[in-house]
Amino acid sequence: MGTVVGGNLVDCAASLKESFGMRWANVIRLRLRSLFSRNKVEEELDEELRYHLERQIEAGIAAGMTLEDARYTALQSIRDIEQRKEECRDMRRLNAIDNAAQDFRYAIRGLRKRPMFAVITVLIMALGIGANTAVFSVVNGVLLKPLAYRDPDRIVTLTSSWKGGAKVRRVSRPDFEDWHKQSTAFSAMAYYRSSDEPTIAGSSAEFVHVARVSPEFFQVLSIAPVLGRLLTVEDEKADDSGPVLISYSYWQSHFGGNTNVLGQTLRVGGGVQTVVGVLPPRFQFPDHSDVWRTADAVDRTLPRTSLSFLAIGRLKSNASLEQAQAQLTSIAARLAHQYPDSNKGRTVAATRMRDDMVANVRLTLYLLLGAVGLVLLIACANVATLLLTKATARTREIAIRAAVGAGQGRIIRQLITEGLLLALAAGGFGLMMAWFGSKALIALAPADVPRLSEAGINGRVLAFTFGISMLCSLLFGLAPALYASRVDLNEALKQGGARTVVGGGASRLRGAFVIAEIAFSVILLAGAGLLIKSFVALSNVTLGFRPEHLLLMKTSLPVNGPNADPRTRRFFKQLVSEVSSLPGVSAAGATMGPPGDVESAGSYWIDHLPERPSINGEDAVFSVVTPGTFAALDIPLKRGRHFEDGDSASAPFTVVINEALARKAFRGQDPIGRILFAGFDSDKPMKIIGIVGDVRQWGPAHKPDAEIYMPYDQHVSGAGTNLIVVVRTATAPEALINTLRRTVRELFPDVPLRFTTMEDSLHEEVAAPRFRTLLLGIFAGLSLCLAVTGVYGLTAYVVGQRSNEIGLRMAMGATPRQVLRLVLNHGIALAGIGMALGFLGSLAGTRLMRSMLFEVTPTDPLIYAAVALTLGTVVVCASYLPARRAAKLDPLLALRQE
Amino acid sequence: MQGTLDLLILKTIALEPMHGWAIAQRIRQMSGDVLQVGQGALYPSLHKLEQNGWIRSEWATSENNRRAKYYTLTRAGRKAMEEEAAQWERLSAAISLIVRPV
Repeated sequence: MGTVVGGNLVDCAASLKESFGMRWANVIRLRLRSLFSRNKVEEELDEELRYHLERQIEAGIAAGMTLEDARYTALQSIRDIEQRKEECRDMRRLNAIDNAAQDFRYAIRGLRKRPMFAVITVLIMALGIGANTAVFSVVNGVLLKPLAYRDPDRIVTLTSSWKGGAKVRRVSRPDFEDWHKQSTAFSAMAYYRSSDEPTIAGSSAEFVHVARVSPEFFQVLSIAPVLGRLLTVEDEKADDSGPVLISYSYWQSHFGGNTNVLGQTLRVGGGVQTVVGVLPPRFQFPDHSDVWRTADAVDRTLPRTSLSFLAIGRLKSNASLEQAQAQLTSIAARLAHQYPDSNKGRTVAATRMRDDMVANVRLTLYLLLGAVGLVLLIACANVATLLLTKATARTREIAIRAAVGAGQGRIIRQLITEGLLLALAAGGFGLMMAWFGSKALIALAPADVPRLSEAGINGRVLAFTFGISMLCSLLFGLAPALYASRVDLNEALKQGGARTVVGGGASRLRGAFVIAEIAFSVILLAGAGLLIKSFVALSNVTLGFRPEHLLLMKTSLPVNGPNADPRTRRFFKQLVSEVSSLPGVSAAGATMGPPGDVESAGSYWIDHLPERPSINGEDAVFSVVTPGTFAALDIPLKRGRHFEDGDSASAPFTVVINEALARKAFRGQDPIGRILFAGFDSDKPMKIIGIVGDVRQWGPAHKPDAEIYMPYDQHVSGAGTNLIVVVRTATAPEALINTLRRTVRELFPDVPLRFTTMEDSLHEEVAAPRFRTLLLGIFAGLSLCLAVTGVYGLTAYVVGQRSNEIGLRMAMGATPRQVLRLVLNHGIALAGIGMALGFLGSLAGTRLMRSMLFEVTPTDPLIYAAVALTLGTVVVCASYLPARRAAKLDPLLALRQE
Repeated sequence: MQGTLDLLILKTIALEPMHGWAIAQRIRQMSGDVLQVGQGALYPSLHKLEQNGWIRSEWATSENNRRAKYYTLTRAGRKAMEEEAAQWERLSAAISLIVRPV
């Protein structure tokens, strides 16, 4: 018995499996047949029903009916044969596809009949979709795309941070060594720094971006050389004559891509180095580096107080970022306990490299994406109003279709298909616009936006465009569809055409769309207004020096060894004096870092040094300058004197301070003649000989800091051999570049030179604010235009619909003035509601922009007043034109138009 | 009831393949003329069942020597029929519990 049951079970299971597979194969075959062998299926359906009919007739005759009667009865029983067939087709899911194709053809025909409407709609939407796609292409390239390394999410950036205080990007080398030794969450960890260094490959000297990296650097990034080998721990011992790696592009441009490059030499800084490897194409991390070498001896002896390096690590595959962070935090706590002088309150933060790279631009890009999204919503509202207007005008057509048997669903599908068609066309056009827009964005974007080269139209961007097009079609297609679905057949057919008192539902919906357009425009205008105001404030900042007619020439003397200091001193003295005496030059000097690009800052002490100098004292900017620099920059002397040639290495040390430091440290006492110590390159006492005006050292957006100026002759070892010569010119600074280059090269053939003008470099400082101000301004302008068209369109439409009523009013004695007011009031009421909502929205939205604003609060009343005034004026103007037309109506004509 | 007609059709052709007209006749006969299947409902139902994969159709020569479309129950159809039948048993039992005079 049991075996029989078992056998049955097995049999059952087998049959189940078989039937399942067979069934689906069968179903698919049938569906395909329904779709592709339509005629055959139709014929069969006919034949089947005919057979049925014949049998029915035969049965009737058999039962004693006449042929006539039998046929009649049979036909009666199979009433509405066409409808039955339709039902059978429905059951075969044929209709859905059939209808869709029909809807599509119908939509195309409908749009062809109204070409202007179609063109306007597609253009408006294409603008919205194109702008969104362009911004998204940048957001995708910069923020979303994974970094081009293996397992990029395992790469993290390690930064110092102070408890409750600011994040300091750089880390100290001894701290790093402790993290490296004690943490188990990383498979590799490296520190690095990079700067422009004078480099000679072959005969020409130039500035090349050189990275100093610790040995595990390339393991962290998982980079293998295309030629030769990487750097090792052994290489660190060789110091200045250690081996170097070069970038692929440097290999191509300086060694002709020749494989015999290995073993050839370069001169970076003072030493001579051998090329041992070439890195893969496009790898130039960090900061477009072309040469990589090991950290030098000085780097490896820097104390814990010196935060000079950047650090990265690769997480082990079984370690999470949180685990790594927890480990590092406890190591940092131990260090803070162990070295309170340097590490008290200092901890370490691990951030995913991609997040860290884009941290500065993320807010700007999201702001733009949000703004451009609002533009799209406005465009959608605009198009929805247009479609709705059309749908109302088509009420009769829709009613007729409903009357001849189109179901409600069918009518809604038809309208949505139209929307879909429009959106797809707009998406196509938008994509073309985005292609140009994306390039324009990249050209406009500030140069310091990371990964900008990766922005562009790709698969993900295409998917985005398609997605928003579909979304838009839903947004603007649904409203008219819903409206149409509520069309009352009897009413619609009874009305003499489209001309009636405006139907309540559609009118309210249209009003809501216009309100939304105005509200979104308010948000955009307010945002743009705030950015413009802060940009103007930023441009009007008193910098403390005169940036016009100022040429900056970066140069360097590639020397090292015992005689380096005196040689450099002589070099710059001669260089500055040669440049000063050139015709067209009114003053020249040289500085370690010009305003906006200062490099050094640290603690200072007045009168005497503390017993245990710690880094937690008062801070000031350190500037090392040659005589003539103040005159060249045009920084005003407030008291005392400038540096002179007499402030030499052998003379007593002197300093000049700025007014901020005088105020902060001396509080009304006279600083001249007092003694100051700086934590820079020596602990010698320095006498204060002068006070100069404040300069915005960190760029226009930052308030001036306390600053200490030291003469170059007394601080060659601290300032190094890279200086920037500042040249005040009588005419356009660019005109002097060639003369300067020739003069310098004649004297010193081996020095690299790089020229910029002060105005260009300031330009870069404000590139980010300018970028977002410009774009938000454009988007706000666009939204204003769209909103105006919306208001105009609505008012014009309402006037058209109500011309009957207006005629009646005028016939009853209403003056043109009253009619004008009637129409205007309608527009103004909508604008009022829209603005009120918009202001609420902006109050919420602009708070997110706080960090982008300069000397402007997010709730600046002036901006809001300006926005209200602009929009108010524009709305009144937009509704005035149709309102005047209404006031000029001839009541008789209007009434007769029935 | 929608499902009921499906069940009747499945039950009817469970015994042997039949064409539409015969199915309607058989249902009428078996129910003692109580159930009259409207042709309007029969054919859409047949087409739906075929699309579902519960019945299969083929053209064959009918008892009066003409081409007719014959429907056969598939394995999946048999299973569905059993489920529907059980469902129907439960339902009718439940209804009769309520309707039966106390």
